[in-house]
Amino acid sequence: MKKYTLLLVLLFQLANATEKDSLNTINPFTKYHSFLEEEDFCDVCGCSASGGSMGFASMLNSNFVGIRYFNQQYKSTDGLYSNSPWYKENFNTVQVWGRIPVSEKVQVSALLPYHFHARETATGNKIINGIGDITVLAMYRLYQTHKDSTFLVHTLQLGGGIKAPTGKFNEANSGSINPSFQVGTGSWDYLLATEYVVKRKQFGLNSMLNYVIKTENQKSYRFGNQLNYAGTFFYLYEKNSFSIVPQLGFAGEVYESNYQYNQKLRNTNGDILFGKLGFEVGKDRFSFGANAMLPINQNLTGGNVEANYRWSVNLNYSL
Amino acid sequence: MKFQLKNILAVMAIAVTLFSCSNDDDDETITGNGNLKLEFDNVYKSANFAFNTNYTNSNAEVVTVSKVKYIVSNIVLTKADGTTFIYPKNQSYFIVDELTTTTLTLNLSNIPAGNYTKVKYGIGVDKTQWEAGATGQGDFLATAQTAGMMWSWSAGYKFVAFEGTFTSSTVPTATQFKLHTGQTGTDYNYTEVTLDFPENALVRTTITPQVHIMADLSQLIDGTNKINFSESATVMGGAKLALVTANISSMFTIDHVHND
Repeated sequence: MKKYTLLLVLLFQLANATEKDSLNTINPFTKYHSFLEEEDFCDVCGCSASGGSMGFASMLNSNFVGIRYFNQQYKSTDGLYSNSPWYKENFNTVQVWGRIPVSEKVQVSALLPYHFHARETATGNKIINGIGDITVLAMYRLYQTHKDSTFLVHTLQLGGGIKAPTGKFNEANSGSINPSFQVGTGSWDYLLATEYVVKRKQFGLNSMLNYVIKTENQKSYRFGNQLNYAGTFFYLYEKNSFSIVPQLGFAGEVYESNYQYNQKLRNTNGDILFGKLGFEVGKDRFSFGANAMLPINQNLTGGNVEANYRWSVNLNYSL
Repeated sequence: MKFQLKNILAVMAIAVTLFSCSNDDDDETITGNGNLKLEFDNVYKSANFAFNTNYTNSNAEVVTVSKVKYIVSNIVLTKADGTTFIYPKNQSYFIVDELTTTTLTLNLSNIPAGNYTKVKYGIGVDKTQWEAGATGQGDFLATAQTAGMMWSWSAGYKFVAFEGTFTSSTVPTATQFKLHTGQTGTDYNYTEVTLDFPENALVRTTITPQVHIMADLSQLIDGTNKINFSESATVMGGAKLALVTANISSMFTIDHVHND
């Protein structure tokens, strides 16, 4: 019943979009609703724009610039033999990002990653590094309840974005064991994103779903489209200018098959589900966050790639 | 609000326009010649093959292999439309030798561009070629002699040479075994293998497909027909060679095709 009510409300809001603007008072809670925004656009593992399901954890303000480091640990095998060795892969990304509201309901995010990835091989470590793919994303706040008038506070955002092939795609790596040992997909990709936050007093649940449509790059390689989802429970504790937000949740990624010369590549599809734990602390204009993710269930690249864990730290400054 | 909606519509319009870019690659006319690589990856059952490693067969014999050589010949590639390309016969004889990495990959050149779906090749030298006489063999005669893949001109080529030592319940000390296939008085023992590609091999002027073939050496002696070295450690003639030749039909599989 609640769902139907929400749907009706949504329809009503759409129909009365212009009116709603004038009715929309400044919500003192607005700046917190985007605590845990998880706009994940990982292109499989290595060449993600923002990286893994580490998400795009927005800070204590929707208006910020920041820097984040994240680390992804994998192991992979060629899968050719029963006695094939497993090799470690260590993916590192430093990402500069910002989120700027262009209007009350529209926020634009930009992410600029720099990757340095290492992978063991039979002949020693192989290292790739470089600027990754830049992503620009716009989110539109479709619906938001007023804090005072309702038991639960809902926020629904929809958006879309583009990922540009600013990172280098090396075809030779695509044929190797982990086709994602890249700093870029080499393709223009498109994102469709939704985010829904529901809160009750200091408790909240942030859920997000996004879909990345990937196109063929100049080397005629196309990474499979990707579905990302996450749900994160959080609690907001505030005192004076200090705030802390512990978080607990799950995040998942589903990859469709990669294609090369319009031909499907076997064993390149897969999925993974992570459990995650983290926190964010804010003081004045600065905030610091940390996150760790452990796989619960996975089947990547025909079982030839296994994710071990991911973790991240970030530092943001509110504008 | 109107302004925002306009923006969103604009973004969506741009996105739709970009999505609509059609890929005309399918309509390209495929012309010219390209190359293709057949990579022979020797394995023992599912394990990556290695010399001086003990492998236990279903008959409880434990073999340690020191030599693996076989002749691959008469390569024929089949296109998606069913037409075939016969690799020039005078260039179509190769010796795959596990000891020499460069011999494990057969580099085929001047192949008409196209989408290939299967490969056929022989193990050994076909009778027609052998009947062409010593002068008809071209360079391959010398190559085979150097590689030790000939008994003598009259006895012919060794098609497969598989050697090492073994132990069993009745032969407790490591004893040398030798398995050489080739013609006998009754059987010629040349055999052909046809393998479907799990994905098309896209030969282009710019793409050299690499076909990764798994050659399970255990099939030679521990396939449908079992060869017991305890009975005879030297298998170079007689009815057993026909049994080994029959085993070859299940020795090869294709793991994947890379189109890079």
